[in-house]
Amino acid sequence: MKNRLLIALLFSATALLSFETFQVVKDTNGSIIIEQVASDRQTPKIVESPVCNTQDQSVEPLLEGEEELFISVVGQGVAPMNTFSPAQAYALAKRAAVADAYRLIAERVRGVRIEGQDLIKNMMVKRSTIRTSVQAMIRNANIVETTFKEGLCEVEMEITISRTDFAQ
Amino acid sequence: MRSRNGNHYFSHRLCSIILLYSLSLSASEYLISYRYVVKDASLYNESLMISHAMKKCSGTSYEPLQLESNGSKNLSKIISLNYEIFIDYIHKLGLDVQHNEETINAQNKSTTILTLKTKCFKVDFNDNFARIAPLK
Repeated sequence: MKNRLLIALLFSATALLSFETFQVVKDTNGSIIIEQVASDRQTPKIVESPVCNTQDQSVEPLLEGEEELFISVVGQGVAPMNTFSPAQAYALAKRAAVADAYRLIAERVRGVRIEGQDLIKNMMVKRSTIRTSVQAMIRNANIVETTFKEGLCEVEMEITISRTDFAQ
Repeated sequence: MRSRNGNHYFSHRLCSIILLYSLSLSASEYLISYRYVVKDASLYNESLMISHAMKKCSGTSYEPLQLESNGSKNLSKIISLNYEIFIDYIHKLGLDVQHNEETINAQNKSTTILTLKTKCFKVDFNDNFARIAPLK
């Protein structure tokens, strides 16, 4: 009886040790390292994820008091394939570029909603989905410069916003 | 004493005056909406809707735009002649931006919709110009 109990204890101990454990360590540079720690005391497998260092990045300025915030963006657009003339292609590409510039302003002012979903089956990524959405109302944006080269239209757009522009 | 026919004509005239007066009040007010869709950085669909206001709009006009009319009193025609100027003006007034982007297995799809929600505009027709101003 005692022997059976001892064998059972031994089995449960080995089963516990066979579980792989993960350890998340933050490097001195600010990047995250995911360490896979094996039970049999082998050298740990290190996977380094490219994480931006937040300290190095420029922080978006905040709108305070009577201050005005100046935002400049460059929107890009291409003409559809079925255009009748270069003039029509330019007009349509410009419209698309303006929409892109508006979207960029909206992203800067209101921020972006991001949803991510990864489907992993048998330790393999089957489907990776990232959805982003932006919603805003933009007015008084000015087009500074428009260029059209090799089917690509670029629109440089500027906007100055202050606290009074936002609904209180 | 007036005849029955005379009274009938009087009421007829009165009604027509009231009708013309009400028409003249709302005739210069238009409802305009604008929407365009950009899919994968390329223009997909654009629509500009113009219609007479069926009832009087309230509010005061602001930021007017003057367009050459050449004697015409048809707003759709005037706008089609100065389409780019009018679209730029609409952009300045403010558009709603709705952007959706989807990346599935590193393949990206995006849709941007810019909309001017139906707005009432006061339009004054002169000999050579039409003055368009939104009401707030």
